[in-house]
Amino acid sequence: MSTVTASSAPLEDVDLGEAAVVDGWSTVVWNDPVNLMSYVTYVFRSYFGYSTQRAEHLMRQVHEDGQATVSRGNREQMEIDVQAMHGYGLWATVQPGTP
Amino acid sequence: MQGFRREGDAYVARLDAAERAVLLDVVDDVVSLLAEGGPSSVARGRAAASHPLDALRMEAEDVQTPTDPALRRLLPDASVDPEVTAEFRRLTEADLRTAKTDHLLRLRAALMAASLDVVVVPSEAPRIAAALTDVRLVVSERLEVRTDADADALYHLIGSDPEPSDVADPRAQVARRFLATVYVVLSLLQESLVELMLEALPEVGSEPG
Repeated sequence: MSTVTASSAPLEDVDLGEAAVVDGWSTVVWNDPVNLMSYVTYVFRSYFGYSTQRAEHLMRQVHEDGQATVSRGNREQMEIDVQAMHGYGLWATVQPGTP
Repeated sequence: MQGFRREGDAYVARLDAAERAVLLDVVDDVVSLLAEGGPSSVARGRAAASHPLDALRMEAEDVQTPTDPALRRLLPDASVDPEVTAEFRRLTEADLRTAKTDHLLRLRAALMAASLDVVVVPSEAPRIAAALTDVRLVVSERLEVRTDADADALYHLIGSDPEPSDVADPRAQVARRFLATVYVVLSLLQESLVELMLEALPEVGSEPG
């Protein structure tokens, strides 16, 4: 769970038009008052392999907007990501569609 | 209490015996919580139940959403769609309980060490940080923390002078202050540990464009 996984493509590499056609699902992480901003950043960097900049941007989106889409892919991949997020203690959901 | 700092190849925090005992109690509570309603207790019920084939049939049954809100923080719904959530629980909840319990037992082992120091090797740190998260989630739920402001209020609560005469139930207030102190100690431990973990993560390189 602590290792970097290739189960999901970084957001910037996803062609949105194509992903939406091919079984597009996403992983959404929700804000909670407990998780530390540094820890959420750590999870996004270590699990998804995102840069500090990308991870901090997503962390702030979670904190300020209440949620952020952190990965996109097929349903099975997204369920792996959600399970991993729950393992870290973050609340995540799978959603059909790739906003 | 002293938060984690790097000492040679390890991350080291310092807790006195009283702090250590309190944290061990809380960790044990969360381990027990994760065992509640889990697959093992369900399986024991099934084994006693009836025909062996019933167990096979019941395998396909939904895993119930935890009723304890603290347990639901540890094993949250995986979708807004109840059917997706139910399927996800059926497929993953047992594994998630096992993983979380493993993290907690590693944290427990670190707290059980004979010296004043709590020593965590970097390879173990992500599991310890995850366990600290889970314990904080449970404690925060007991303290009814719902918003960022609620969480901030805990820091003010333990920083303020106790005025039990002002509250309706002084004993409840003392208990709340105690639990808030536990929460803040756990938060300081996690924050200091995660800072070191972030420093140790290799940067993946700047984004193109």
